[in-house]
Amino acid sequence: MRQARPGLNRRRSVATAAAVGLGLITACSSISSSNSTATSASNTATSTAAATASAAACSNSAIQPDLNTKGQLTVATDSPAYPPWFENNRPSNGQGYESAVAYAIAKQLGFTTAQVKWVTEPFDSSYAPGPKKFDFDINEVSYTAQRAQAVTFSDSYYDVQQALVALKGSLAAAKHSPSELKGYVFGDQIGTTSLAFINGQIQPTQTPKVYNTLDDVKQALDTKQIAAFVIDTPTAQYITSSEIPGSVMVAQFPSTGEHYGLLFAKGNPLVTCVNQALSALRANGTLAALQKKYLQVYLTVPTIKP
Amino acid sequence: MQTQPPDAIDLGRRGSRLLGSGGGSAGRVALSTASTLVVLAVVAALFLLAPGSAQVRHTFLNPSDMWHALIGDPAKGYYSVGEAIWLNIRMFLVAEALILILGLTIAVVRQSTGPVMLPLRAAALVYVDLFRGVPLILVIYAVGFGLPALELTVVSTQSAAVYGVLALVLSYSAYVSEVYRAGINSVPLAQTAAARSIGLTHGQALRYVILPQAVRTIIAPLLNDFISLQKDTALVSVLGSIEANRAAQIYSDATFNYSSYAVAALLFLILTIPLARFTDHLIARDRRRRLAGGAA
Repeated sequence: MRQARPGLNRRRSVATAAAVGLGLITACSSISSSNSTATSASNTATSTAAATASAAACSNSAIQPDLNTKGQLTVATDSPAYPPWFENNRPSNGQGYESAVAYAIAKQLGFTTAQVKWVTEPFDSSYAPGPKKFDFDINEVSYTAQRAQAVTFSDSYYDVQQALVALKGSLAAAKHSPSELKGYVFGDQIGTTSLAFINGQIQPTQTPKVYNTLDDVKQALDTKQIAAFVIDTPTAQYITSSEIPGSVMVAQFPSTGEHYGLLFAKGNPLVTCVNQALSALRANGTLAALQKKYLQVYLTVPTIKP
Repeated sequence: MQTQPPDAIDLGRRGSRLLGSGGGSAGRVALSTASTLVVLAVVAALFLLAPGSAQVRHTFLNPSDMWHALIGDPAKGYYSVGEAIWLNIRMFLVAEALILILGLTIAVVRQSTGPVMLPLRAAALVYVDLFRGVPLILVIYAVGFGLPALELTVVSTQSAAVYGVLALVLSYSAYVSEVYRAGINSVPLAQTAAARSIGLTHGQALRYVILPQAVRTIIAPLLNDFISLQKDTALVSVLGSIEANRAAQIYSDATFNYSSYAVAALLFLILTIPLARFTDHLIARDRRRRLAGGAA
């Protein structure tokens, strides 16, 4: 959903290091395919050393001063919270990839399930200046260097690709060569960098339509206000299989190196320990297992060029 | 206080005034200027000395971000707010013309007295109750997502801006018809009686005697509604069309900087302030004419 701006990949590693204040450079900066095995391997190598060095500094008692509310981990997301990232719009049920990741991080940091408190934070206000009401926000927010000037991002918890969704039997479902794609009216949810992908990679001749919510985008596709829309692959897979009858995920586009990061208040020191937790979860296979459990459906999707 | 000609005092009291009652003498101007400057200085100091001032100025009023938002760069994921405001202006102009016509029609129907007109009067009443009572954004949603879902040939294939204008017209014509009706009611009944007594038909009396007087009374509230309409064109963004407010939102979501909203706000001010001054001008002119005793 809220993906990174394509074309910023080269600057990402530098900016991440600066923003996070760590030498822990995410391996995502050099991803050029969707192959996550390679990612895990190189990430493990860098992060194990860092984790060992400061494991004590990230004990539950050590991070208490950095918390929004002592004794609990306050996690934010938007409402409605969409599958497959959350299920039944209830982040606290531990179901859905992002909910599961949040609880896994909490466990790494020594919190019990009951100590994880969820708050609703609309995407538009999640990056406002001033005090935050959460420790971190988990809402499919993509890292970009420009965004990192306003907030602090964690390392990647999911490397994301864009996919094309259209109605079955429609023109866009059948014809989607790079030149054919340019002729369609695309739709997008506000705040996503799918819009940057559409304009930067597909470069359509007509201005895309930008809607408030994903539900509006789906409605627009259903009523043929738009020919197709672009969205992250797991969401596209979920929508086409469960939400819009007669829609199809046509294909996914090659990775542009985008990844989702947890959103912290600018300079929040807690990010160091959360990054260590993420590294540990990556190293012990938890992230991969959760992706397999909640997001695996997309793994066999064909890739087309924008 | 200096002695002033009686008519000047009268105009000063009644007109739209910025400089206080009777304004004019050099001393008063100096005093009002000084007090204005002091107030502005206090507000500016509060803003600049607040603990989060630098952060707020960077996030909401950063000149570089404002410039980029104004110019736009679709390849980076955001559009020009300056270009997007043209859509607001076009929607406003079309909607305003349609609202003036439809609003007047509804008002005249509601004021009609003939028994034959009863069904139309009832329809007008229901229309006004419905569209004045339902929030505009819901009307926009219903029109913009409902009509395409009907899958009709022409009705369902319009652009978002067309549906937006339609929704604005539906909602605002209900308001404006009430403004017209208030204007018509403000004309004394004796005027109608006099017009009829010299042989004008009901329609002629309305056209040549009642409406000219009614419209003059309601220019201010009408233009007030239109200033509101100019801003409400931003609501059409929910249908996916990229107007100024939506372009600003896209910029802030792409860059995590809200300065684009300041750009949109400034552009809307540039649109609405001239209209507000024009309203003042019309009111003042009307007052002068009435005081001069002119009928035109």
